Amino acid sequence: MTEAINQENAILEVKEWKEALPGQSADEVVIALSPAFGTQLKKSIIEIDLGTILKELCAGIEEEGMKPRFIKVFNSTDLAIIASQGSRLSGSGICVGMQSRGTTVIHQRDLVPLDNLELFPQAPLYDEKIYRKIGRNAAKYAKGENPEPVEILNDYMVPSKYLIKSTLMHFKEGEMMDKSKKAMDMEVVF
Amino acid sequence: MKEYVAGVDIGNATTETALGELLDGKLLRCVSGIADTTGIKGTRDNIQGIIRSLKNASEKMNIDPEQIHLIRINEATPVIGDFAMETITETIITESTLIGHNPDTPGGIGIGIGRTIAFQDLLEAEEGQKVIVVVPDTVDFEMAARGINEAVQSGILVEGAILKNDDGVLVNNRLEKKIPILDEVEMIGKVPIGMECAVEVASPGGCIDLLSNPYGIATVFGLSPAETKQIVHIAKALIGNRSAVVIKTPAGEVKERKIPAGEILIQGKNRLYKAAVDRGAQEIMTIVSRVDEIQDVTGTKGTNVGGMLEKVRMEMANLTEQDYKTVFIKDIMAVDTIVPREVLGNLAREITMEKAVGIAAMVKTHKLHMKRLAEQLAEILHTRIEIGGVEGSMAVMGALTTPGTEKPLLVLDIGAGSTDACLMDEKGKTKPIHLAGAGNMVTMLISAELGLEDFKLAEDIKKYPLAKVESLYHIRYEDGSVEFFNEPLDSKLFARNIIVKPEGWKPVNSRKSMEKIRQVRKEAKEKVLIQNILRALRKVSLTGNINEFEHVVLVGGSSLDFELGNMVTDALSHYGIVSGKANVRSTEGPRNAVATGLLFAYLEERKHG
Repeated sequence: MTEAINQENAILEVKEWKEALPGQSADEVVIALSPAFGTQLKKSIIEIDLGTILKELCAGIEEEGMKPRFIKVFNSTDLAIIASQGSRLSGSGICVGMQSRGTTVIHQRDLVPLDNLELFPQAPLYDEKIYRKIGRNAAKYAKGENPEPVEILNDYMVPSKYLIKSTLMHFKEGEMMDKSKKAMDMEVVF
Repeated sequence: MKEYVAGVDIGNATTETALGELLDGKLLRCVSGIADTTGIKGTRDNIQGIIRSLKNASEKMNIDPEQIHLIRINEATPVIGDFAMETITETIITESTLIGHNPDTPGGIGIGIGRTIAFQDLLEAEEGQKVIVVVPDTVDFEMAARGINEAVQSGILVEGAILKNDDGVLVNNRLEKKIPILDEVEMIGKVPIGMECAVEVASPGGCIDLLSNPYGIATVFGLSPAETKQIVHIAKALIGNRSAVVIKTPAGEVKERKIPAGEILIQGKNRLYKAAVDRGAQEIMTIVSRVDEIQDVTGTKGTNVGGMLEKVRMEMANLTEQDYKTVFIKDIMAVDTIVPREVLGNLAREITMEKAVGIAAMVKTHKLHMKRLAEQLAEILHTRIEIGGVEGSMAVMGALTTPGTEKPLLVLDIGAGSTDACLMDEKGKTKPIHLAGAGNMVTMLISAELGLEDFKLAEDIKKYPLAKVESLYHIRYEDGSVEFFNEPLDSKLFARNIIVKPEGWKPVNSRKSMEKIRQVRKEAKEKVLIQNILRALRKVSLTGNINEFEHVVLVGGSSLDFELGNMVTDALSHYGIVSGKANVRSTEGPRNAVATGLLFAYLEERKHG
């Protein structure tokens, strides 16, 4: 299993800080992380350092003049639930939800969990540049602007090719899941 | 005995019916029918649409379509229009003198002046030297910021930065001393190194001030009056930007060049008139208005205009099965416009708005094959079919049923390809005219000025008002009013500009603001439709004076446009003319005018034997 999920040499620290409360500032964009993100799992499904992904997301948000805020969701591994919790805690109502394998969604407070503003379901196809654009677009939504959606990449081979690894990573997320634990604000060092 | 008579108008888009119940030549009641036109107007394919339209009307009358004694169809206006556009200027940058582009998020604020230096050589600059650092995309924002901070600490005066990545704000946030930063410069490798350079970034919401002023540039680089004259185009290209870079190179310059766009040759009754397309629309239209009666129009071979005019001719020849050589262009309309084009020799995909001319042409032919159509229809329906009067005269007859109108009356029908007008004087004599330029040309202008690739989207922008989805529970319309919803809206519409179509909302995939789109839409209608209405009035008037008219009535599908009616009323009120949308038979609005005219003309004929 350690062979399947190479997690060495990653520099990322994700620490729980305090219980997350609804944000008050309109210029924050929440980045909501899955249970094992940065703790058990430090690299995405195609072994991009999760720290690098977070750095690009934050850079995209900062370039647009907005502020990122990290929270972690423990009571679900489902990206839709993670993102919808994040968006309800976000001061701007916008949240980027992320699973450790790299699957990402931009969510807005008023949407039902399974709906989204933009969804990036095929994690193996995304590089750093895409994460920068995701961050940028999330910030633009938060500012009430009208961004061009990030291009959708699609490869029908991806689901079968990465099925095993993705399942293993999902187990890791599941191990860290705690139904009774509330979402936490996180301290992230990358 | 009761008689049933129907007037049927086959239009480009819809086939309309006015069905009357008559007793001894007197109209008892009248109903309308409507169906989509099937096939191209004037061809056999229309029959399906006619039958549907008749059925629609007879259902309302509670009769069988076969009970109709007489069907009158109109003699369709044998007019078709087409349009093309020709760009007449282009902006060229020779060597890299300016980067006038407008990244969404430049960094910092203010003006920086110095010599350009590559990032890797930054620390080699002398102490006290003023430099503008050029950062390639291999350097990420943290490295860039660290490098600049180090250089500043060692006494190098870093005054500004030019970045390839979209990192302006990121770098600026990490700097100890804030400098103006221009980012997203695509061809960073082409920025000349070691040259004098000025970077300016304005505050959010503001515009640059120094570099968009020729004397500002002259001040920065110490230019002579002669040199200042040459940089006017640079300054002009930068107006309205939030950020800009100007670099002084020995040979570099920016030019606005005119593209030879050919000539339009207009054959008048007595002589040939020539109009150069690159002189702009106004000049073309002045010449057109001078021509007494246009016999034919051609364009210089090998140019867009020439090709476009020949294409119109071909299409019309095919449609009417006429010889290509006997099809003549009877009117053209030219409109000035601006289109976004990438600057030649650009470094950052700068776009300038280049001047262009849109040209519409209109062809008249012999009668379309209405007679053949009538015969075929008679066979199928076993009814008597008559070809009623000319479309224009019938439209006037129909429009006269609008309460508040009287003769003399001018009826305007703005179609897709042409604008048709018909004047009826006090004695009932009619004078029809047809002009090039109508709805499709408006769509073309909208599409070109907004840089849209989707013609259907432009068509929708033309037809319906705009709104912006501000949250999932409310939208703001273009007039500023707000509507709230109990159920959340479709997430795909969030933050988008939308077109409020009656059958549903459609997002506008353009970064242009709602205000900009609205302005372009209104201007396009003003430039084509209102100008054409004024042109039509001048043409039908005996004295050439618009003031002589009293009533101008709009009919046809285009007058259902949500803002055109008011625009026309407003424009013509300056001439003391009462104008507005028709309300045919007090109930039909601007629709059904020709069909009603066909029916009423029949009643008149009966009355006078």
